[in-house]
Amino acid sequence: MVIAGHTFTQLVRMKVFYFLVVFAVIVFGLQFVDMSSLGAVKAVEQNLRVMKGAVFFAINLFSVILALSATALLLPKDVEDRTLYTILCKPVPRLDYLIGKLLGVIGLVGIGLLVMDGLFCVLLHNRVDAIIVEQTEALTRMGRSAEVIEQQAELVRAQGVTWNIQAGVLAVFLKAIVVASVALLVSTFSTSTIFTIIITVVVVLIGLIQAEARDYFLHQQSLGMSSPMLEMTRWIALLFPDFKLLGIENGVINGEKVSLRLAGQVVLVGVLYSAIYTVLSWFVFRRKEL
Amino acid sequence: MSVENPAAVEIADLMKEFPSSFRRKMFRAVDGVSLRIEPGEVYGLIGPNGSGKSTTMKALLGLVVPTSGVCKVFGYDSMKVDARQFVGFLPENPYFYKHQTAEETLKFYGRLCEMRGKVLASRIDELLELMSLEDARKCRLGGYSKGMLQRVGLAQALIQKPQLVVLDEPTAGVDPVGSRQIRDLIFQLKEQGTTVFLCSHLLDQVQEVCDRVGIIFNGKMVQQGSLSELTSVDHQTELLLDGANEELIAKVKALVADSGAEVLSSGASRKSLENLFIDIAKQYGEVAR
Repeated sequence: MVIAGHTFTQLVRMKVFYFLVVFAVIVFGLQFVDMSSLGAVKAVEQNLRVMKGAVFFAINLFSVILALSATALLLPKDVEDRTLYTILCKPVPRLDYLIGKLLGVIGLVGIGLLVMDGLFCVLLHNRVDAIIVEQTEALTRMGRSAEVIEQQAELVRAQGVTWNIQAGVLAVFLKAIVVASVALLVSTFSTSTIFTIIITVVVVLIGLIQAEARDYFLHQQSLGMSSPMLEMTRWIALLFPDFKLLGIENGVINGEKVSLRLAGQVVLVGVLYSAIYTVLSWFVFRRKEL
Repeated sequence: MSVENPAAVEIADLMKEFPSSFRRKMFRAVDGVSLRIEPGEVYGLIGPNGSGKSTTMKALLGLVVPTSGVCKVFGYDSMKVDARQFVGFLPENPYFYKHQTAEETLKFYGRLCEMRGKVLASRIDELLELMSLEDARKCRLGGYSKGMLQRVGLAQALIQKPQLVVLDEPTAGVDPVGSRQIRDLIFQLKEQGTTVFLCSHLLDQVQEVCDRVGIIFNGKMVQQGSLSELTSVDHQTELLLDGANEELIAKVKALVADSGAEVLSSGASRKSLENLFIDIAKQYGEVAR
């Protein structure tokens, strides 16, 4: 915990939270997207989905960049500055050092996500309230019954701030943790921050598309076309994280309900991936010569 | 302790090879080095650049894995974390987290050694005073001079009151006054019974503070022993006189000539340039705070 606390402080003092200002500007800007032309109920719901999609994209992007850059920076810098010598010469097991660094980054990403989630929820709540008021006025003018108006309001509220949104943010958090764990693993054998970032980005990209690639080659096989690529994608699945397993945001954006079971599965997958990459990091780092 | 009366440091047949740039051939940085340092001793390891001094120290601290041989600290295998509870290490040209103050740095290292609360706070005060860093305790290390960083490095090495202090070039880049302070500190540690394993290029300093010295060359320990054993010249004797007049010196020279011996040199005793600098610095009140 000492190393985790120190890592968190170190990153905070590196002013990494400045990215929250950029996020706040994006969220603030979305408030001014003109919705007056979107009169139909369906179009209003679609507009909310677009807005949620844009914010989730920004949250995903910022948290992954934060997790990746913060983790990639830490270990090579400690080696380069030789601060690692003085730390590991104290009675600190190397596994504790790695876990401390990872927890520090996780803490930082977690707090960043909390702030982004808070801003997002405020924006969404305000937008939903404004839409309901607009719709109620429009439907009243059209002479619809109170029951119909309430039904429409419920439909709009379903696209607003719900626990499903929080499940989506949790999935983003888990994704960032996996990215940080991958970056930690790469940094145990890399010699520079830039190398760590490039390799981790490649791993993340493979992790994002591997499920689609596997589906494509499986489809080819079902059509009777054998492909060595299918076997390769199976091996890739063993080595690289499959981020599709953590991707529940699309459903959340569409207003689908996230069951407790699905949320549990996502947490399990995220924690498992992170644990595997942390153990691999320790395996490389435990005999690393400094 | 795992064994009775273990040596503070015991290195037996240490060999360390690194892959060379072509990978096929291994580069042997340390070749069969053995040494033993008793508790309370000040041991100096000297040798030219690239002779294997730092690699030997790193093996002792568990930072590199020996290709063969054993390194033990107070009977504990140096690759085990347990061994490090007895050790304080100051690397050559230490860098610390620039965002931290001296106080925060010492707090961080103290907490790594499981120190907490008042014990840690009073130890930090004690070390900051010892290293003359009280005035700068709240300043970020990014603004520290090299000498000040070296003192912070020493303070972190001593934070948990280690029984063994390993110093790699402790006076590198430090001015003569700072260098003298570090020398005095080594004497102080010795008085307290702390074992010091020192690696330095400054041979005068090694000679001044060390009980025993090892000379390493091309990864091999070529000579080691007590300073008197290593530096005495057979059949030659030094005589240093205070208040002797010309007449007495003439008599001594005559006696020497009568006995068949030979006076090789005589003249006014000279202070070293370092001593001269220290005297002047004291005189002008520029002793480092």
